[in-house]
Amino acid sequence: MHVERTDFVGVPVTDRERAMGFYGHTLGLKRNSLAHPEWPEFETGNVTILLNTPEQTGVPFSPSNTAIALRVADVAEAMRELEAKGVTFLFPEPYDSGVCHMAFFKDPDGNSLILHHRHAPYPDGSTP
Amino acid sequence: MGSPIPSSRWRGRLAEGIGAQRVDYIRVPVTDIEQAKHFYGELLGLERNPNSPGDDWVEYEVGNVTLVVMTPHTHDYEFTPLPPATIALRVSDVAAAKAKLESAGLEVGEMWDSGVCHGAGVSDPAGNRILLHHRYAPYPDGSTP
Repeated sequence: MHVERTDFVGVPVTDRERAMGFYGHTLGLKRNSLAHPEWPEFETGNVTILLNTPEQTGVPFSPSNTAIALRVADVAEAMRELEAKGVTFLFPEPYDSGVCHMAFFKDPDGNSLILHHRHAPYPDGSTP
Repeated sequence: MGSPIPSSRWRGRLAEGIGAQRVDYIRVPVTDIEQAKHFYGELLGLERNPNSPGDDWVEYEVGNVTLVVMTPHTHDYEFTPLPPATIALRVSDVAAAKAKLESAGLEVGEMWDSGVCHGAGVSDPAGNRILLHHRYAPYPDGSTP
């Protein structure tokens, strides 16, 4: 079998309107206007984030720790922008893994998200 | 690896908010990395990124995004499986993919039809429910995702 691509990443939410405000306005992701209105899709550039509710999936709500890592040019700057909008982060400053900067935060339902910027190339000199 | 394949529909329109450019990776928490490598690398046939570091952090490239198969217990947090249908993998034929995985001994859920797409769920060895997915209907404007 051949897997062609990842069509979407599902994110469970309990309050669709609140989540749409967070992903659409706070994070500023573009909503796919062609998607079903009750299955809101947000585009990140390469992959689709699909918001779903427990009523739709039939699965009791539990927050996802898949930790979608959003690439930004400057993690510290993006942190400041989100903090100004009331988002809180796990650590007060970006974490430096040695190859990337990261900042850990959650959406209003507790789903894990990461601001991410890899600053070092791979060992072979290429960049992801 | 991880070459961006942005949808032209959204190109150049992502610079609002925090200026998110793309999703760099998505974590897939597992409990046994060897079992997971067999499932994702051999059974699903995903391409491993040769530059991915460490034996507890293995990156697979899925066309448009990187899936990181990793063990939470070596990254300071506890394993919990992903909610069902967190990750939807596009295949050309869900029934054929289901049959192929079943012939390898996996249990795959019944294929459903939403009216615009087919889907069938399969669990990885850690219990993450992965969705095999194929949208067969175009969008209302005739385009396809």
